[in-house]
Amino acid sequence: MKKNLRQLILLVGGLGMSYLSLAQTPTDGLLMPKGDICFLIGYEYGQFDHYWEGETLRKNGTIAKVQRRTVLAMAAYGITDKLDAYIGLPYVSTNSTTPNGGKFAGASGIQDLTLGLKYRALNSKTEKGQWSVFGSLVFSTPASNYLSDYQPYSLGIGAPQLAWRALAEYEFNSGLYLRGSGGYTWKGYTQAEREYYYNEGNYFTSWMDVPSAWTYEAVVGHWFFSKGLRVELSYNSSRSTSGDDIRAYNAPQPTNKVDMDRVGVFAQYFFKKPKGLGVVASFSQVIHGRNAPEMAAFNAGVTYQFGLFKPKN
Amino acid sequence: MKSYKLSIIVVVISVLVSCNKDLNTELTYESYEFAGIDEDAGDWNPILLASGSDISVDAPAATNSAEYQAELSEVKSKIASMTPDQKKKVDFWTNNSVLRWNEIALGLIAKYNLIPGPNEDESYTLPDPSNPAGPPPFPFAHPPYASRALAYLSVAQFDGLIAAWHYKFEFNRPAPYLVDSEIPNTYVSNGLPSYPSEGAVLATTARKILTAMFPLEAEYLSKLEQEHLESLILAGENVPSDLEAGIKIGEEIATIALSRAANDGMKNAQAPKAVSDSLRAAAFERFGWQWENLESPVRPVGLTPLFGKVKMWNVPNVEATRPEIPPAPGSEIFQKDIKILEDYADNVTNERRRIANYWQDGLGTYTPPGHWNDIAGEYILKYKMNVIRTARTFAYMNMAIMDGGVSCWDAKYYYYYPRPIQMIKDFETIAGTPNFPSYTSGHSVFSAAAASVLTYIFPQEGEIFNEWAEEAAISRVYGGIHWTFDATVGTTQGRNVAEYTINAAKIDGADN
Repeated sequence: MKKNLRQLILLVGGLGMSYLSLAQTPTDGLLMPKGDICFLIGYEYGQFDHYWEGETLRKNGTIAKVQRRTVLAMAAYGITDKLDAYIGLPYVSTNSTTPNGGKFAGASGIQDLTLGLKYRALNSKTEKGQWSVFGSLVFSTPASNYLSDYQPYSLGIGAPQLAWRALAEYEFNSGLYLRGSGGYTWKGYTQAEREYYYNEGNYFTSWMDVPSAWTYEAVVGHWFFSKGLRVELSYNSSRSTSGDDIRAYNAPQPTNKVDMDRVGVFAQYFFKKPKGLGVVASFSQVIHGRNAPEMAAFNAGVTYQFGLFKPKN
Repeated sequence: MKSYKLSIIVVVISVLVSCNKDLNTELTYESYEFAGIDEDAGDWNPILLASGSDISVDAPAATNSAEYQAELSEVKSKIASMTPDQKKKVDFWTNNSVLRWNEIALGLIAKYNLIPGPNEDESYTLPDPSNPAGPPPFPFAHPPYASRALAYLSVAQFDGLIAAWHYKFEFNRPAPYLVDSEIPNTYVSNGLPSYPSEGAVLATTARKILTAMFPLEAEYLSKLEQEHLESLILAGENVPSDLEAGIKIGEEIATIALSRAANDGMKNAQAPKAVSDSLRAAAFERFGWQWENLESPVRPVGLTPLFGKVKMWNVPNVEATRPEIPPAPGSEIFQKDIKILEDYADNVTNERRRIANYWQDGLGTYTPPGHWNDIAGEYILKYKMNVIRTARTFAYMNMAIMDGGVSCWDAKYYYYYPRPIQMIKDFETIAGTPNFPSYTSGHSVFSAAAASVLTYIFPQEGEIFNEWAEEAAISRVYGGIHWTFDATVGTTQGRNVAEYTINAAKIDGADN
């Protein structure tokens, strides 16, 4: 029951983390019982003072260190024992530390509304443990008129996104578990507030095509204290399928080809009392990228899960 | 159940497909019927030449000569073996390629409008025309550079076309599609005599001017020129000897334009630190203020301190267009402006943000001069201007824009006035503060100058042009990077400067 919170937490991690990988799919290997609902309030602090311009890691005195703070409210609901639904809405605030050479104002506001579904396709016990296979579909769309063409301070990419993901997990009876997933995020168009931009040539339009991306993740985790605490190490990666590089000493724009590899550590603790209450914390670091910030992010949150309706039969 | 799943898949796919947008990478227009062909344009006053006959062109072979007939069969066999790719290029160039070459110039400006970043040791290296590959690459196509590139391109094309028109109507050799009914004209036929080819004048002039302005693009431009020339044959517009005469005019007028460019003072515009420091010291002594670059690391020299000394097109003396002294920091007007800027910064409305971004035309874009060329193109098409009217519009507008830039830069480095971020504590902006003094606003001057010339050309549209010029001016205040008086005085300055160009245009013969 406690561990059912996990997928929500990981979805949160995907949403809240670095602005270049928003609204990933639910990445966990579990489902909630029918009629259960779970709420989460999370906070994330991320920062970077280096970024990859194309494939070259650099700093930039114009932006100095960029800070990014996110507060996320989320809810998950068990529609059936095999199907969960999610909804999430983050508030994001960005700025540069002072002194900096650019004197740019940061940005803040509501980012993207996210709606998700997760379906369990397979669940089978073996002698040594248990297999689970899931598919998920997540849609997100900007929930305010934030400007995506204001990087690196933009709240998000400003485009609708549709992500599917397939996920398989094996949990040993010992409490060790391994998880792998892969998926694809279709990203639509974002509208800039200008009628011309350069993307390896002229574009006489305010619409920018945001590159879609393949995403992958590998996780190794372990339960402790008879499933009162778990700890995970993760490696995830995303690869844009198209896009241009950030040009020399120039600002990024939504058309950029963004690639990222990130490692993270995650922990979750469940209180015995009150029942249903949990806390989560994670840290992640982008270790390799292309047109991506070398973002380090710390995330903490509180979750509360309870049965909303008593399921009959 | 199966059909249910299938229908979901169909719906999802069709939604995704319908979401696919066509993003315009070029101006969308096709060959069109011109409002007129200006038979007398060969008598108009050119800008660099004394008259259209200054460039000599040999008399062409008669259409019934064996020589010409041989050219016709060559044209026919080329058209017969045209590949789909060649056909696409013919359609691309259209019968008004002034717009295409202008669009190509805008793309190059945007490509090269990148400010050199600092080196590892925090020093800055300037682009060097004698080593264009850099790093950093040459040029940095900032707004003054862009205004100048566009002015030389447009002026040379306009003069070249006046020469072409002169000979077209002197020799009156009809186009191949009129001589031989087996030769189709891809474009809307206009009956213009085809010798010398106006398309060839445009292609060669543009290739040569733009190659001088963007030396790393020599190969790209030469390929475009060849494709354009080939398209003129394949479209049934010209025979090879039409092209040769046009190329000759193009080469000669571009050479004349480039020799002016070589000595217009631009090569000294990016002054060394000692010169820049002495301008700063002079301003401080005169006025008690001085602009400072606040970037990290600090740039030792502002952008083109001596662009204000560059030779103007139609203004005899730049100081005659220099605006009055700006309000002193600390004065009542100045303090009031601080309040206005703080209010805009604290209350970024959707409308002000949109305007600030719409006119920003910052690094990596085609710059404000480019934006006004983009706007001009739209109205040129709306009024179905022919090739030479199009070139004239761009020539006068871009001369006024560049003169405006020169006048603006004269004021900037004479007054050396500080930017809002320098004078307002902890002030932050939603647009990037450029590396040059504040007073007056370049956007305001460029835009007012462009709008004034466009109003002269399209009087019935004047209201909207002037509204846009004022919006472009105030956009800089909304962006937090200019004082309101930078914008308002700059607008007036741009209009004043443009008057000189408009007065020249009024007597060039085109209005008769």
